[in-house]
Amino acid sequence: MTNAQQFEIFMRNYQNMVFSTAMRLLTNQSEAEDVTQEVFLRAYERFGELQGSPTVGGWLKTVATNLSLNHLSRYRSRWTFFSEIFTGDTDAGDGPEMEFADESNVGEKLEARDRHELVERALQKLPTAQRVPLVLYHLEGLRYDEIAEKLGVSLGKVKTDISRGREALRKKLRLTLEPENSLT
Amino acid sequence: MNPDYDKQLEAAISRELKALPELAAPGALANRVMAAIGQRARVPWYRRSWQTWPLALQGVLLVGLLAAFALLCFGGWQLAHFTMLTPAAREVSGWFSLVNAVWNAANTLATALGLAFRSLGPAVITGIAVMLLASYAACVGLGTVYWRLAFCASLKERQL
Repeated sequence: MTNAQQFEIFMRNYQNMVFSTAMRLLTNQSEAEDVTQEVFLRAYERFGELQGSPTVGGWLKTVATNLSLNHLSRYRSRWTFFSEIFTGDTDAGDGPEMEFADESNVGEKLEARDRHELVERALQKLPTAQRVPLVLYHLEGLRYDEIAEKLGVSLGKVKTDISRGREALRKKLRLTLEPENSLT
Repeated sequence: MNPDYDKQLEAAISRELKALPELAAPGALANRVMAAIGQRARVPWYRRSWQTWPLALQGVLLVGLLAAFALLCFGGWQLAHFTMLTPAAREVSGWFSLVNAVWNAANTLATALGLAFRSLGPAVITGIAVMLLASYAACVGLGTVYWRLAFCASLKERQL
C-alpha cells in the first residue's frame, strides 16, 4: 500500500471529527471544508510522525481549532465589528426560537437524531462570541483561562459569554432544570 | 446568579452537547484533499515553502545565507575603513555618503520637531492629540456608516 493510500485511509478515519470541530466553530460549510483540507495537508507533511501516534486525534483537533480561530479572527473580525455596531446582535436570547413539531413534550417525542439536529441548529444560531467559547469549553474540553488566552479576551468575558450562551441554548432547547438535574 | 442553577445548567448543556454525534464530512472532501496533495507533490521542491525542503538543503541554504550576511558585514566594514584604496571603492563610498546625508537631514528634522514640541507646552500637545483622535474616530464612523449602507443587504443575508 502506498503512502498516499495509507493517508487516504487515515483521513477517512478522522475527517468527520476534524470537520465537526471546524463546522461547530465556524458554522459555515465551505469555510469548515477549507479548514479541514488545510488540517489534512499539514497532517500529510508530518504523516510519518502522526501515523500510529496515540495523540493523533488530539493533534488534529488542536490544529483544527487553531486554524478555525485564526480564520474567524482574520476574515470575520471586521465584518462582525461593522454588523454588531448596527444590529447590537450580541444576546442570543432575543434571537429566533427554534421550531418544534410539538411544543408540549419535546424531549420525549423527538427521536434522538432529531434532538441532535435541533441542538446542532440551536448551537449554530448562537452569536459567534457565545458559540466559540461554549464549544471550546464543552466540546474541546478547554478551561476558562485557556479559552481566554486563545481568544485574547479577559477571563471575565469568557465566563459571561459562556454563561449567556448556555442560557440562550436553554431557552432555544426549552430545557427545564429540575432539582435532580433531570431534563424535561 | 444562583450557583446551584449555574451548575445544573452547565451539566445539562454539557450533556446535550457531548451527546452530539460527529458531523459527516462531505463525501467529496477526501478526494479534494488528495487532489491538493497530488498538486503539491507536482510542484518542484525549490518552489515549495522552505519548511518543506529536504533537511540537507535547508542546512545548505542557512549556511549560505549566514556566509553571505557575514560577507556583507565584512565588506561594509572594509569600505568604511579603506575607502581610499581604489577608485571603485571611492565610488561606492560616494553612494554611502548620499545615504549619510539623508540620515543627517532626517536626524536634524527630528531634533527640530522635538524642540518644537517641547516649546509648545502640554496643553497644545494634548489639544493636537485630541483633534487627531477625533478626526480618526470621525473617519471610522463615516466609514462604518458607508459600509453599512453599501452592504446592508448582504450582511443581513449572512447573519440569517
